[in-house]
Amino acid sequence: MSRKPVICGIGRTAFSRNSERTTLAQAAEAARTAITDAGMLATDIDGVACFAMGDSAPGMAVAHAVGIDDLNWNMELFGGGYFATSVVANAGMAVQTGACDAVLVFRSLNGRSGKRYGRADGGGTKNGSAATSRTAMQVGGERQFAAPHGYMTPPQWLALWCRQHQHRYGSSCEDLGQIAITQRQHAENNPHAVQRGHIDMQDYLAGRWINEPFRVFDCALEVDGAVAMIVTTEERARDLKQTPVSVVAHAEYTGHGGLMDQWPDYTTMYSEKAGPLLWQRAGIKPNDVDIACMYDCFTYTVMATMEGFGLCQRGEVGSFFAAGRATYGGEVVVNPHGGLLSEGYIHGLNHTFEAVLQLRNQAEKRQVEGATTALVTAGAGPFGGGMILRAGV
Amino acid sequence: MTTTSLPPQPKPNLDTEGFWQATKSGQLSICRCQECQLWLQPPLERCRQCGATTRFEAVSGKGSIYSFVVVRHGAVPGYLDTLPYVVAIIELDEQVGLRLPTRLLDVAPETVEIGQRVAVQLVDLPGGEFRVACFRQASD
Repeated sequence: MSRKPVICGIGRTAFSRNSERTTLAQAAEAARTAITDAGMLATDIDGVACFAMGDSAPGMAVAHAVGIDDLNWNMELFGGGYFATSVVANAGMAVQTGACDAVLVFRSLNGRSGKRYGRADGGGTKNGSAATSRTAMQVGGERQFAAPHGYMTPPQWLALWCRQHQHRYGSSCEDLGQIAITQRQHAENNPHAVQRGHIDMQDYLAGRWINEPFRVFDCALEVDGAVAMIVTTEERARDLKQTPVSVVAHAEYTGHGGLMDQWPDYTTMYSEKAGPLLWQRAGIKPNDVDIACMYDCFTYTVMATMEGFGLCQRGEVGSFFAAGRATYGGEVVVNPHGGLLSEGYIHGLNHTFEAVLQLRNQAEKRQVEGATTALVTAGAGPFGGGMILRAGV
Repeated sequence: MTTTSLPPQPKPNLDTEGFWQATKSGQLSICRCQECQLWLQPPLERCRQCGATTRFEAVSGKGSIYSFVVVRHGAVPGYLDTLPYVVAIIELDEQVGLRLPTRLLDVAPETVEIGQRVAVQLVDLPGGEFRVACFRQASD
């Protein structure tokens, strides 16, 4: 009897700029949809796994809200997008070891109307904004050295990293633009994407600066919403409704204590270490994947991690996209849903949703023909992971 | 800068307070192992390499720009009305890879380059008692 991990059901809410719903309500909707999609009952689920940064409903509350009374495994990770593949892989390990039989995995957030990652004070419309705060924020930990200088948001950190890459390898703003444009083209065929309007290089370059060298099109689209999936064993999935998607391998890496400032080389990320480990564990090569859902909090993250995972030569990511090698008919389709840049930022768990949809041959207009193997990545900078998914068992 | 928007204040703890005491008294000091002489940033109570005790020691305040970003979108309180500003990661002369995040003072963004020499200047941080280590472009 095989306890190899598979994803047997997926669900999600609409993604929007203002859900006007709680994170619990959205997580519950996505969870119910995933359970139904799998052809299971709530009582078949005995594990829950999620990640959050103090901005979401607890896993056990979500399980309770959909009628799961008995949990044998409950994992709640505190952290960001670097956990988006780990949370799935850990659920896989839980079913594989027999800790439980079926795990509800979810991420739910009001990333636009609630706590926003692009703002130091987290201010969305519901939290008020920094401009009206009369007491200064207090920042401890290693960030106490950076925050007083007005340096404390991800779009500042990664733009600063990107500058070093431009300096060393001569990568350009146009190279970043190729990534944003290609992903937007993909989003045009995705009704679930929040941004679907066509952009070309002129539009990209006319985009307003956020933090030079990043323009607005280089940054993930903060949205509200939830994504959920069910992870179970190959054996259990055999008589379920959908074609299972196998979790073939996962590799994660955290270096230098996750300290952004002290990471030795800003032209590389966690992927330098996680990449080779992943290919070794999966027993395949980078050119064996049909789809790559690359974590794209920023365009530069796609650039540095495509190099790290070995999908591209260093300094050649821009020309790789420009030549059509990262889209339909090319070598690998990168972010066929439009990614976090265009579909929306559900902290990366929507990448796994898309990969499963594609591997089940259910992606409709944006289906990558004959896709059997997908790479999903998570994270940026010093921490992250990569996961290989395959259609069937 | 308006009174309704104060910059983030550091929240020191037992390991980091020596840094802030030093800047307050007019000196940039960095945590250093008293045994193997390794400089440690962020500061630690004990050396991460050899486990020996540490203390804050004065540094030259000179270094080079490792990388930088021109912030053009206001997202941090205290800096909403002062756009653009340039944040840089400085590699201090004392040790390869010893880095400090900072803001460059009185600088035209288009003149900033990776590798440029910089020197520290301590500046009062509005809204509290702290002095922070900013840097200026320098010739040596």
